Amino acid sequence: MTPAPIIVAPFCSIAPPDLLAAVAERGDDDDRQAALRALAASAALRAQRTAVARLLRQLGADHEAALGVKSRSKGRRTVYDAGHGGESDLPGKKVRGEGDPPVKDVAVNEAYDGAGLTYRFYKDVYGRDSIDGHGMELISSVHYGTDFDNAFWNGSQMVYGDGSGRIFVRGGLTKDVDVIAHELTHGVTQMTAALEYSKQPGALNESFSDVFGSLVKQRHLKQTAEEADWLIGAGILGTALRGQALRSLKAPGTANDLDRQAGSMSGYADLPDDNDPKNDNGGVHINSGIPNRAFYLAATAIGGRAWEAAGRIWYVTLTERLEPGSDFRAAADATIGAAGDLFGAASPEHQAVSAAWKDVGVL
Amino acid sequence: MRGGGLAGVVQTTTADSETLAPDDAEALRRKVGEARFFDLPADSGGPSAGPDRFAYAVTVEDGERAHTVRRGEADLPEGVRALVAWVSSVPGRREDVAPPGG
Repeated sequence: MTPAPIIVAPFCSIAPPDLLAAVAERGDDDDRQAALRALAASAALRAQRTAVARLLRQLGADHEAALGVKSRSKGRRTVYDAGHGGESDLPGKKVRGEGDPPVKDVAVNEAYDGAGLTYRFYKDVYGRDSIDGHGMELISSVHYGTDFDNAFWNGSQMVYGDGSGRIFVRGGLTKDVDVIAHELTHGVTQMTAALEYSKQPGALNESFSDVFGSLVKQRHLKQTAEEADWLIGAGILGTALRGQALRSLKAPGTANDLDRQAGSMSGYADLPDDNDPKNDNGGVHINSGIPNRAFYLAATAIGGRAWEAAGRIWYVTLTERLEPGSDFRAAADATIGAAGDLFGAASPEHQAVSAAWKDVGVL
Repeated sequence: MRGGGLAGVVQTTTADSETLAPDDAEALRRKVGEARFFDLPADSGGPSAGPDRFAYAVTVEDGERAHTVRRGEADLPEGVRALVAWVSSVPGRREDVAPPGG
């Protein structure tokens, strides 16, 4: 099959993912690489990441090559200044590479340090070499947009706004390592379970990001489950949100005055995933409180460092045992199974995980 | 209206040409025209924007006409992006922040 010429230029990749996948499968090496790059560009630009990540995995593709980032870089960090530009301006101007000394721009250093703490967490605790497990370079762009109240993983890199003061304080989006690790974990999820960002699979996607976001912070602060605050985004809220943080895994729904997170199935918000911004992809940021609290309950029942036993159970579940459409029940069953496999069927860990899902009403 | 993002809250910003400064009201009409807003399809038909991305619903009411365009942040047409950026900073706009789910 002769590939269509449009795939040569990734930014013109209007070809649908299934066509590109066909090229990736049947083309020669150059065609295959071009198609994989186009698939990755499609992932970022057209936000079809769930489907694309699945295709990349089915094709056994090297994510780094596909995403156009350096291979075997051992989590090398590079930070760029987006110069208040938008998506088409990414990544921007390079301002700090791996091993470079700190620069004057605090946001650059925070993004660099946060990426490093997250990399070390996954590598040292679970043996995972970067987002893709193969040493993928960690690219961050700061100063995205103007007064931009968000930070996100765009499918191949981290992007940070400056905050407007309304939702987030200015400079707040790079302040909390749990926020940085939350977003980078969306990358891990993209390349493993590829949970659909909709309804229960979407709430699980959010929850895994909150869980590992909090665990990266807990390990950095050398805290046990009992000592940890279990908060995401502490101290960075702008004037429109009154409270201590964005979310609490310990007490969902209590982190700020607009926090409507559910802590059990009795509070489950059955919202449609209908493209209406107020419905939050089917309540992904509301219902994530339920698996969040299940993790908190399991981790505190087990005790000690939450990233060791409870974290490992959740990590194995995310990376080996879930699929794009997995719901809460599937996650409960998978974590209980993983706990049994890792620690034994009659172990305290197994019992704690089972009890936690019962407590939040999933089982 | 903007939802999603890391925070997951719903931010609604409203600009009313009746209460804006005359120059701003004129600029608002021009931005809506430049975006060819009433010719845009209501939905892009594509999937949602991806984890923690913003999602927008932009509504323009003009006399008897009303039209809403819903897009992920990465799929906003350039004219609508310019309209959103302008409304988000115009003096006299109203802003409201609410939890998701209404």
